[in-house]
Amino acid sequence: MSTMQSKARQAELRMRRTPSASRKKTFWLTTMMLPATIWLLLIRYLPMFGIVMSFLDYRLPTRKIPFPSNLLKSTWVGLKNFQFLFTSESVTMIRNTIGYNALWIVLGLLISVTFAIMMSELTKKFLAKTYQTMMFFPYFLSWVVVSYFLFAFLDPTNGMIVRAQRAAGGDVIDWYNSPAYWPYILTICSIWKNTGYSTVLYLSAITGIDRTYYEAASVDGATKWQQVVHVTLPQLKPMITILLIMNVGKIFNADFGLFWSVPMNSAPLFPVTQVVDTYVYRAYTSTGNVGMSTAAGFLQNLVGFICIMAANTIVRKLDSDNSLF
Amino acid sequence: MTTAVKKRPGSFRLNMISRKTEAVFHLILGVFALACIIPFIFVIIISFSSEDSIRQIGYSFTPTAWSTAAYTQVFSLGDALWRSYFNSFFITIVGTVLSVTMCVLYAYPLFRKDYKLRGFFSFLSFFTMIFGGGLIPTYIICRNLLNLGNNYAALIVPMLVSPFNIIIMRTFFQTSVPFDLIEASTIDGSGEYTTLVRIILPIVKPGIATVALLTSLAYWNEWFLCLLYVTKRDLYPLQYLLMEMQRNAEFLARNSSMIGASGASAIAALPSQTMRMAVVVFIVLPIACAYPFFQRYVVAGLTIGSVKG
Amino acid sequence: MKKFLALILAAMMLLSLVPAMADSPVEITILLEGNNVTDDAAVLEKLNAYLNEKIGVTIVPTWGTWGNFDQTAQNAVNSGRYEYDILFTCSWTANEYAPYAKKDAYIRLDDPDDNLLEKYGAELKAVLPELLFEGAMTEGPDGEKGIYAVPGFKDFATMNTWDVNVTLLEKYGYTLEDVEKAGFYGWNDIFATVKAGEEKDGKVFYPFIFEGAVVERYVTGTPIITGDANGLLSYYMNTEDVSTPGAYGNVIFNKYATPEFEKFARQMREYYLAGYIDPAIAIGETATDTWRNAQNTANYLISSEVSLYGYEFTTSEQRGIQVAYVMTTDAPYIDNTSVQGAMMAISSNSEHPVEAMKFLNLLNTDPYVMTLMNYGVEGIHYNLNDAGEVEFTDARSTYSPWTNGLGNVTLLPPQKGQGADFQKRFAEFYGNSKKLPIYGFTFDSKPVEIEIAQIANIKEAYALSLCTGAVDVDEKLPEFLSKLEGAGMQKVVDEANAQLKAFLGE
Repeated sequence: MSTMQSKARQAELRMRRTPSASRKKTFWLTTMMLPATIWLLLIRYLPMFGIVMSFLDYRLPTRKIPFPSNLLKSTWVGLKNFQFLFTSESVTMIRNTIGYNALWIVLGLLISVTFAIMMSELTKKFLAKTYQTMMFFPYFLSWVVVSYFLFAFLDPTNGMIVRAQRAAGGDVIDWYNSPAYWPYILTICSIWKNTGYSTVLYLSAITGIDRTYYEAASVDGATKWQQVVHVTLPQLKPMITILLIMNVGKIFNADFGLFWSVPMNSAPLFPVTQVVDTYVYRAYTSTGNVGMSTAAGFLQNLVGFICIMAANTIVRKLDSDNSLF
Repeated sequence: MTTAVKKRPGSFRLNMISRKTEAVFHLILGVFALACIIPFIFVIIISFSSEDSIRQIGYSFTPTAWSTAAYTQVFSLGDALWRSYFNSFFITIVGTVLSVTMCVLYAYPLFRKDYKLRGFFSFLSFFTMIFGGGLIPTYIICRNLLNLGNNYAALIVPMLVSPFNIIIMRTFFQTSVPFDLIEASTIDGSGEYTTLVRIILPIVKPGIATVALLTSLAYWNEWFLCLLYVTKRDLYPLQYLLMEMQRNAEFLARNSSMIGASGASAIAALPSQTMRMAVVVFIVLPIACAYPFFQRYVVAGLTIGSVKG
Repeated sequence: MKKFLALILAAMMLLSLVPAMADSPVEITILLEGNNVTDDAAVLEKLNAYLNEKIGVTIVPTWGTWGNFDQTAQNAVNSGRYEYDILFTCSWTANEYAPYAKKDAYIRLDDPDDNLLEKYGAELKAVLPELLFEGAMTEGPDGEKGIYAVPGFKDFATMNTWDVNVTLLEKYGYTLEDVEKAGFYGWNDIFATVKAGEEKDGKVFYPFIFEGAVVERYVTGTPIITGDANGLLSYYMNTEDVSTPGAYGNVIFNKYATPEFEKFARQMREYYLAGYIDPAIAIGETATDTWRNAQNTANYLISSEVSLYGYEFTTSEQRGIQVAYVMTTDAPYIDNTSVQGAMMAISSNSEHPVEAMKFLNLLNTDPYVMTLMNYGVEGIHYNLNDAGEVEFTDARSTYSPWTNGLGNVTLLPPQKGQGADFQKRFAEFYGNSKKLPIYGFTFDSKPVEIEIAQIANIKEAYALSLCTGAVDVDEKLPEFLSKLEGAGMQKVVDEANAQLKAFLGE
């Protein structure tokens, strides 16, 4: 196994030394990037002028003042559009957003990597495929549909759990009025929905691992467990790192549907379900101010950007190969 | 491989986990997989329940009465339904092919350590994953500048590039392509495109299949673009056609008095709640059928790997 | 940096210029809401031929549905692209009438410099009741009041009612009069009897199922104040005579801080604890479905409804019971919300405002145009019976626009069963409704926008629970009030009162 790795390293070193890093190569490789680059510039970079709306009292474009001169005619309001985000209530929503995200990033990683490795080790491939197909189904169901499914169990009158409790003569839990249970319910829902998706990513990464590594390992007499620790996990490291970094970038963004639909927008649950996105949505629908929602989005992205840069810097220091850029 | 195992029935299972461990794996994965599929079965049951049953006892695995009203309602769309199926398939296939091609072409140089502009282009795509202009500015650009509206392009172009997929693809290159391979082929003097197509792509097939899967799912599930850019019914994809129909029924059921006394009687008959579930069945079934096609590449490699000694 | 920005913007402006088309006849594009139209070819052929001959116009309607209208309208308005000449608007859609008129989304129709309404809509102005235009007056971008859309001549008065299941009521020996006499605060006995009776066979029955978000208005007699999108403010009307101010005069209050609200919330709590109220109506996303399901399956005793003229015949037939509507005020009252329920505005981006006005004029005054657009083509979509009533054919399923969303419904021939004099009775009924003392007032929340954005989140956390009795009043109400205070509720109330004073000219 060690020979394999050193071989790879040698190749890499040779690669860096060779003078083939010529202009010609750069040119041809750059042409590959052109289609997507043009797209990114047109559809992603050009509209970024919209970020400026965060600081404006946006004026609608009309025939007399068409776009984009309406932007110049809009009043500059500075940070006023950000004000509504900072209140006594914001502590709860920030705690919830970051808390749930952090927990789910770690849990999600552990579970999906474990599942992917377990599936790759199953000898009955037919079953492995079946499990994997089934695990993908939650991805197809919108949060609204999930919320109805959950409601079938928790409905205060006809819910299956509620009925069972009533039949047993025990206390009936008023689920949509009891915040204590919801951190668990939301966590289960999130894991349930997202595991299939990330398991596929890890599973195909495992599939892509060069089989000679395993052959070398088993020739060296490594047990299955040792192979997982010394071959699979190190080979998965790039995928794990990249997905981690990207998830960290979304730490200030919450899955709106999960926090809105699944608890059925039930008011007594707000202390554990209010997140930045639901807060902004309620504020936006009550005022219709595009500037405010743009401002909130910009702030979320800024936080994400800072987190991602920090994470990336740390990764680059530890292991430059696996960093995002 | 199987023959090798058969030949030595008494011996230990070569390079495999123990039967006991495997049984535990099956238990864990099986339970989770069941938990994933049951809600979908529930959706199917609800879609065949009668609307009255839901009104009386709520959503239940055992409704008081069955009905196909929801399906009749959806089939009443007639040609529009089949037309939208065609649109969805067309958009998904064209979109996925274009999108995956662009993704691979962008990700490959990013993976090449010897590519000088790697850092710049990585940042270029990554930055858009975090920052965007927002709905209205994007709409203005797409509509006014790129003339996306009431055409297929409007349903394909805005989703062509996904920075997330680019980064995933680059990671697949990293994990499965050994460096000496590129070096060897470069020395052979083959062009960059030839190297990519002939040598690299066959190796990253699982990665491409995965990205293609994610992309096609995204195209299949997309309805918001249609809401933004398309008003012609001929162009509606399935998702949008059904979603609009269902939203309509829901709105009517909730606001019956607002639309005036004359139309109210028709509304109570609309199976709005069962339709919501029938719509899910119509949308999920085709893509669930297509899933094994991609899966062949994602899991195929495993068959060789884990048994090989 | 600023120069650079200006340069980019200038470049974009050039690109965004769309070449204008000069065609004859003029094509008018219209974005409508709430329709179920899949085949309009036959209608448009006839309609456009007629319109072309009459006013040199053809129309291209986009039949927005309940499902897609909001987003389409918002895009059209926010992007500033010329796509529609005429836009449907009202007090409850995403392109809400008053705020978007203020944001310059629509052309002022009675602009002193270019009075489209007078020049091209004289007949329209003569036909529609003056009070409709009064209710359509709203502040424009220049701060001046004006008319920014043609209001629809439909059921323009609000009727807040208790929807009573008379069949069930009489089964237990009560009469409609008992319900009326006891009033909201005295229904305990009726509820107890009916609940006990209905639950004999072991099923769960809730006698009282209503729209939690608005039911408080029925009990305390507080109409919607236009512009108060979150239901934060209360104006107390005189429910004995809605045309005069209530006990407090023309003053606006913090809805949740009044003794009236507390009394109401306590009564709801009592009903809730006694098991008379379905807990599902206290949950945000299931509230509406639960309420409507109970009504449609006749599984209720008393419910709430914003009723319409003649609505009890429709619902009685549909639910298979006898439904009665008990008004909570002495007469239907006219407020901005009901008048602004369906309107047609001309977009500020329109290239043909004159032709658009001409069309709106015809639509609201010419029975042929209105009937054709609304009911379709005679012989295809409907037939007239001997009584002169409309009987729809099967083709109607491919062409059913939303009747009230189009305009002057009094031009339409009666439908089967309505009777030949339906329109006359309809007009008479609404003619007898009364104007609220604050009719025409619109609260402009822009000056207190930041407070509103914060308060909206606090209100969402408490209001529905309190209004449905799902939480303890002693614990939650003071908590709610102190949070509202902390978020600047007083500032909002003061602003509203200042605006109301200015409106009334005090």
